[in-house]
Parts: sequence; structure tokens; C-alpha cells
Amino acid sequence: MKLATRIIAALGAAALSLGLAQAAPSGAPVRIGSTLALTGPLSGTAIIHKIVGEIYVDDLNKRDGLLGRPVEWILKDDQSKPELARTLYEQLITVDKVDLIIGPYATPNIIAAMGVAQRYNRVLIHHTMGIPSLAKYDMQFPAWSVGPNPETTVPNTLFDALAASAKPPKTIAIVTSKFPSVYFMSVGAREVAKKRGLQEVLFLEWEFGNKDFGPIANRVKDAKPDFVFVGAIGLEGNQLLEAMKKIDYVPPMHYYMYPAPGPLAKLPEAQGALAASIFEQHPPFTNNPIAAQFVKEYNARAAKAGLPDNSVETQAAASFSTWQVLEAAVTATKSLDDKVLAAWLKQNQVDTIQGRLRFDRANNYGDDLMRVKQVQNGHWVTVWPKEWAAPGAKLITP
Amino acid sequence: MRVTASGWIAIAGLALATVPFFKPPAFYETFLYLVFYWIVLATSWNILSGYSGYFSFGHGAFFGAGMYTTATLSGRYDWAFLWTLPAAALVAALFGTAIGAVVFRVGRLRGELFALLTLAVTFVLATVVLNTRIDGGQGVNLGGVALPAIGPTPSATFYFLALALTVITLWTARGIYQARLGTGLFAIHDDEDVAEVLGVPTLRYKLVAFGVSCALAGVAGGIHAMFVSYVTVGETFSIIVPLTVVLMSVLGGTRHWLGPTVGATIITGLVYAFTAGDYAIAGRAAVGLILVVVILFMPNGVLGRFAGRSRTPTRAPDANRTAPAAARSTAPAQTRQQRQGEILLDARGVSKAFRGVQALDRVDLQVRRGEILGLVGPNGSGKSTMINVVSGHFLLDSGRIAFGDREVSGMAAHRIAHAGIARTYQIPRPLAHMNVLENVALPAMFGRNSLGRIDAEREARDWLEFTGLAGKADALPDDLNLHQRKFLELARALASRPSLLFLDEVLSGLTPSEIDNAIATIRAIRDQGATIVFVEHVMRAVMELADRIVVLNYGRVIAEGLPQDVMQRPEVVTAYLGKPHA
Repeated sequence: MKLATRIIAALGAAALSLGLAQAAPSGAPVRIGSTLALTGPLSGTAIIHKIVGEIYVDDLNKRDGLLGRPVEWILKDDQSKPELARTLYEQLITVDKVDLIIGPYATPNIIAAMGVAQRYNRVLIHHTMGIPSLAKYDMQFPAWSVGPNPETTVPNTLFDALAASAKPPKTIAIVTSKFPSVYFMSVGAREVAKKRGLQEVLFLEWEFGNKDFGPIANRVKDAKPDFVFVGAIGLEGNQLLEAMKKIDYVPPMHYYMYPAPGPLAKLPEAQGALAASIFEQHPPFTNNPIAAQFVKEYNARAAKAGLPDNSVETQAAASFSTWQVLEAAVTATKSLDDKVLAAWLKQNQVDTIQGRLRFDRANNYGDDLMRVKQVQNGHWVTVWPKEWAAPGAKLITP
Repeated sequence: MRVTASGWIAIAGLALATVPFFKPPAFYETFLYLVFYWIVLATSWNILSGYSGYFSFGHGAFFGAGMYTTATLSGRYDWAFLWTLPAAALVAALFGTAIGAVVFRVGRLRGELFALLTLAVTFVLATVVLNTRIDGGQGVNLGGVALPAIGPTPSATFYFLALALTVITLWTARGIYQARLGTGLFAIHDDEDVAEVLGVPTLRYKLVAFGVSCALAGVAGGIHAMFVSYVTVGETFSIIVPLTVVLMSVLGGTRHWLGPTVGATIITGLVYAFTAGDYAIAGRAAVGLILVVVILFMPNGVLGRFAGRSRTPTRAPDANRTAPAAARSTAPAQTRQQRQGEILLDARGVSKAFRGVQALDRVDLQVRRGEILGLVGPNGSGKSTMINVVSGHFLLDSGRIAFGDREVSGMAAHRIAHAGIARTYQIPRPLAHMNVLENVALPAMFGRNSLGRIDAEREARDWLEFTGLAGKADALPDDLNLHQRKFLELARALASRPSLLFLDEVLSGLTPSEIDNAIATIRAIRDQGATIVFVEHVMRAVMELADRIVVLNYGRVIAEGLPQDVMQRPEVVTAYLGKPHA
């Protein structure tokens, strides 16, 4: 039954997405509410989720909508503030009376929304929750499949990739921002490295918002590590590499936790840089016709919106997966009842463009689908695990 | 029955407390929670920064101290949430008071330096919290902490907590505003040195205001920690918090206790009016534009524009009081006469230097009770410095000063004022945002007699009558001419009913007829038994008024005695006119 449901959901979505079964939706719209950080410090990334949501809802309405009804997305701007996110979700549920909700962007805002969802027994599918242990509500479902313990599993995937490379590192320097979701991963990586026998030659922290990376670059250079794990978010990785360039230092191998992907790939010094990803717009990911269609549509809309990087990667893919999970649950259950949807999600798996998602482990997390990608000639290519590597790509070592 | 403002606050609080029982959608309770939350933060900021003018950009630090106190105690040590709130208030208040105890003693840390320093405190605290077990970098999750069921729903519980804190905050702000503390803080706002000399215990008042401000912000932080349920350094110590409370207070009006409430309500309402996802950036721009326009046309805030500037309820002079205060002496006439001639002020070996310039050099000065002592000398001879030293404005380098049977050297200026010494300033220094009546009532409240507000205003009206300023009682100092400003100085000094009055060049810049008028006034003051030290360059007035004269030159006493004798002495003539070179 599980398999049948999964296949029906996947095939149905694919068929609909390809325009094979068209029937104009009718009746009162299914209203789906959410907030995004459309203004404020998180807006640069949240705009990705807005574009993805618009693509998906447009596509849904071109098909049969949800349950044959058109879909209306009620989107509000939480201004990057958790207290506003919380209040707006309360407005969506108690005043706007939306049928369904999906998550906002960024961990603090998701936690704020999760509290509201819990009080009103609503299903909350979200796309960017960085610390799974904080997700205690049993009707929340993560569509960014990082597993219940990414602080262990993601570094292990990374170190597996390095161990299989031509030049496995023996020493490691870990330098990290104290941004909560990044720091959480860096502390985990430190423990994993120790267990795997890597010698830690440096551990350094900086406060989020730091602009002076010169001293950090110098300390890394002095430590002479084989591998540098950089707990960076946004442009911090670029800033560190630029500081390293000023002292004529090139890290032998280097990894960035949550970088701004476009700017890092374009930086010449980032050649060989590694990062985690759930999706890149190359085969085998784009062998999925839904993914290929989405990549095409997203590239066009992102360019039109003036985004600095038009590629589909983790953020856009997680966002798209959120909508896929919601659609699969509603379609399979033919219901908008939150408890029915939650029960179905706990029992079933959903095929998404990042892979197959399940929600039956701790805090409704499933598998860690994070892969390792690398900057090669100005582009990100997945290099590990091998089955997800871009055609002909392998991890390059100096 | 007339309902006071505090009564209205209570009535409004009770009325708002019924809202959850009408079972509105929870969003409205949560929206109102945020309105209350910002009212508390903005109003608490205003208690120090609006009232006293010490513009703080560190409110986020005290709010954050409360937030992390609750987060730590409830999240890590399993304290019941409500018990963490007094602790949040205490931690924030102690933190703020400790900072104030250091910063407020450094006179130069005012204005923008105070603002920057408090901002730096925020960053320092954020660094400490981030790099210790308090946060450690991963934030503190309060998802598992039980919320007490104060209201029928969690939203209602937060609503009730914030409403209760808002009522307490507004009562506090209004109480301080009307109390001596508020009057003193507003005086500090306009001219802290003058306030101190008029008797306001400036350091204590600032510390109390800072402590209260921080405590309220701390409780707001404690409640808000539970509201957001995940506390991170980046969100908590963001510059957004202080910027928002400043904007709210300025918009509503910082010189009124209700101003921040108005500003917080407007801005929170605007924020929610523009949250539609389709036009998010345009919405934010519209909010900004509205605020710019409002502040442009209402620079003193909404209440500054519509509520008028009078801060205190005043009463008209008592019709039954026919005898002006000036006719009342500070001591029974017989006692005064018996004590006439005894030494009231005894300064011995007083020295004061400024960066190598010896302004006063071992000056001995005695002032006898009931006399007018002329203190004269050329420009730069040390006359004003002597007044500043005696009144506590400057600390002396050496020597001692006794006033009556009390040693006053080294004493804080406000305590010297309480002892009964008052002064005027050579260049008038009225408190610019207080009207003439409030300027004169202030020393009556804070000077030797420490009158209540109503009595102080009555006293002030009498002295305004005496100095011919009764018709200007409601005017601001900027609306007065020089003559009137000089007499405002005089009325202000007299309103404290001093035993000893220093008049620093009150006649300079006046026309001959105004000088005649002033001489008559000073003589009338002396006739009531006041002792006067009269610093003046208008020698005609000195010769007419002074019983004795002391001449200073280069910070030293070069002559003293009866006016006619002293002014003819060669060394005095030389000091004024220079040595003849034949």
C-alpha cells in the first residue's frame, strides 16, 4: 500500500506537471498560508522561496489544483522577525482561516510558526529547519531531508568523500561562525573528526557579522592543516578566502557549511571548495522530468526577478519539495484535515526532486540526503556519493 | 468625580482585560500583545532617555539581559516561568545600575558619547552571552517550558501578562513624570549642571531612572523569551530593538509620559498594515515614508504637538494670599537681628587651578550674615570661579569652606543648595524646555525648603510677582528678553529661600533704568534679611548696594573693607586701570 501510494503520488505529480492530465480546477480555492522574510536581513534568500512557491502554485492551478479546487497562496512578509512570523501565522489561522499552512524561512521563524501550528493542531511542512532537535511538534514535517542528526551524518558524508579521494587529509582546522544552525554543525563536525582520527590543529570561532577575517586566515595558515572546515553562512566563506588571498595562502582542501552558492562559485580562489547540497541542476538530479521542468522555469523566473544566481540548489529544491510533500499528502488522502494529512505523512514516503523523503524517525526526520558538491571551473558539481555525482565528475584534490 | 490619569490607566487596563473573554481570534490577542510589548519597551526607555535626555542605544542589552535570564532559569534550571520574571527585572536593573554608577560619574559621557557607550555595552553583553554557557552559540530553546494558564488560551496568557506589565509601566512612567523625580530628570535634560546647583540630586535620580527603566525592559524580555520560545543572540541583541523604541518614543513625544504609547501603537499598527507578501518592499517603504512625514511635521512628536507642553497641573495664585513671599523672611525678624553680623560663610585658603592657570590662590573670604558683600575685580580675577567653588560647581584644589556650622567644601552641589546657598549665572542658564513658572518652582522643590509641587508653584508665582515676571509665567525662556532672563535667574535663586545668595553680574547688559529697577529689587531682597554676595562690574550699583567690598586680582584678595575706602586704594586702582607709565 505504501509503495502503491508512493508511486501513484509520484506518477500523478509527474504526469500533471508535464501537462498530460489537464482539468480546470473549480470551486472555492484551497487557501494555503505562509510567511517569508520578504524584507529584512533574510530577504536575500527568502525571495528564492517566494519564486518557487509561485512557480508551484501556478503549475498546480494549470493542472487540477488540489482536490479539483484552485489553490490560493496567502503569503505575508514576516520581515525576518520571529515574533512577527508567530503573529502572522496566528492571523493566517484564526482570521484568514486558511485551509493549510506551510513553513516560513529560517530556523527561528520556523520555530515561532511551529508553536502556533502546535496550538491549533495544524500540519506544518517546512523547508529550512537547521537544527532538527528543536523540532518537537509531532505534526511538523521537514522537507529539507537532513536526517535527525545532521551534525553527525553530514560531516560523516563529507569525511567519507575525503577519505575516498586521491589525497585523504590527516589534519583538520575547524573555523566557524557562531550563527546557531552553523555552529551546531561545526561542533558536530569537530566530534566526528575526532572519532575518525583526524588530528585537529585549529579550532576558531567568530561572531556572526564579523568582517575582519585577516587574523583567522593567518591562524589557519600557521596551523598548516590538510583540510579546512569552514562553518560559514552567506558570504563569510568569500570573505575568508579573500583574506587568505591577501597573505598568499591557498587552503589545500576546504569546505563551507551554508555558503551563498553563486558568489562563492564565481570567486577564483574558491576553486575546489566543497559544500553540502541536496540538489544541483545537472544529471542525475535533472533526469527527473519534474526537476528538469522546474529548473527551466526557475532559471527564467529568477533571472526575471534579478537574482544574482539563477541556479537551482539546496534552497530552491527544499522549497519545491515542501510543496511536493503537501500536494502528495492532500492528493493521496483527498483531505485537507490536518490530522489525516499528518497520519498519512508518518506512514508514507514521498518522492521529491531531492529524493525520497520519509518522516518516521526522531522528530519526524528521515534520511540524510545531503551530498557533497565542489566548485569546479566556476560551477558547482556534485561529487559525492558517486551515484549522485555529475557525469564524469569526481572530487578534485590539489 | 475627577478621574486621574492613573485612574484612567486602571480603567483602560480593566477594560482591555475583558477582551479575551469575548473570544476574539487569537491573532488579535497576539497583535495586542506586541503593541503592549513595544509600549513597555518604549516607555521604559523614555523614563531615562526621554525624561533626562540621556539618549540610550543600549535598551536591547537590558531587554536581552531579561530575555536570557528567563531563558537560562527556565530552560536550564527548570524554574517556573513566572518566577523568572522578578529575576529578569532584578538582573537587568542591577546590570543597568552598575553601568550607570560608573558612567554617570563621568561628566563628559553625555549626549552622543552616552549613546555610543550604551550601544557598545550591548555588543559586549552579546559577546559574553554568545561565548559562555548562557547561549554558547546555538541559542536556547524554550519549547519545553510550561506556560502557566493565566488566560483561557496561551495567546490570552501572553496578552494578560503584557497587559499587566503595560499598566504597571504606565503607572510608573506617569508617577515618575509627576513626582519630584520626574521634575528633576527634566531639569537634568535641559542643563544637568544647573539642575545640580539648584538642588537636584542628579546622580541618584539618573541611577533610579536607569534602574527602573532596565527592570521594566528586563521583565518585557523575560515574557518575550517565552513568546518567541527560541532565544538567539542575533535576534535578541539586534540593533533593531533600540532603534525601534527610539523611533516610537520620538514619534509619540519624549517629553510626555504617554508619548511612547502613542508612538508604539502607531508603528506596530503600521507594521501590520503592510505585511502582504505581494507588495512587501513597497509596504515597508510606505511605513518609512509615513514616519518621515509625521516626524517632519511634528518634530516634538504627536503629543508634543497636540497635548501642549505643560507637564504639571498648576493652580492660580491663592486669592487670599495678599502678602507676597518676598515680604516673608526666612527667619523671625528678631532672631535675624540678633544674629546679624556673625560670619555665615568662611572660606580659608581656597585654591583652584585650570590646566596651570591659577584661578584662585589661597583666597580667604568671610561673608557676614545680613550684609551685601561686593566681590569685584577685573575680568579673569577669579570672581565667578569663587562662586562656582562655593556652590559646588567646581571642586576646590585646597582650602576649606564652612557655611554656618557646616563644612561644605567637597560637598555635592545639590547638598550645598539644600544647605541654603543659591546663585545666579552671569550668562543666564534657564532650563530651556520648562516654562518660566516651572523654572522658578524647581529650586523651591529642591532647595532648602523642599516644598511640594503645589506649594513650590505658589512660591514661584510670588517670586515672579516680586521680579515683575508674573505675566510671563507660562512663557518659555526663549521668549524672554535679556532683562527678563536676568530676572528669571534672580527669581529662581530666590525661590529656594537661600541663606546666602550669590549674584553673578545680574546687571550686565541692562539699560540704566533697568539697572535702577534691579538695584531696588536687590535692596528689597536684602531688607528681608538675605545675605548677598554681589559680583558686578557696574560700579555705581556696587557702591550703592555693598556694605563691604572684597577685591580679587589674579585669583588673590588684594583689598577688602568699606566701599569708599577700598576703591581708592592704589592697588585697586592699579588692578582696574593698570600702572601709570610716565
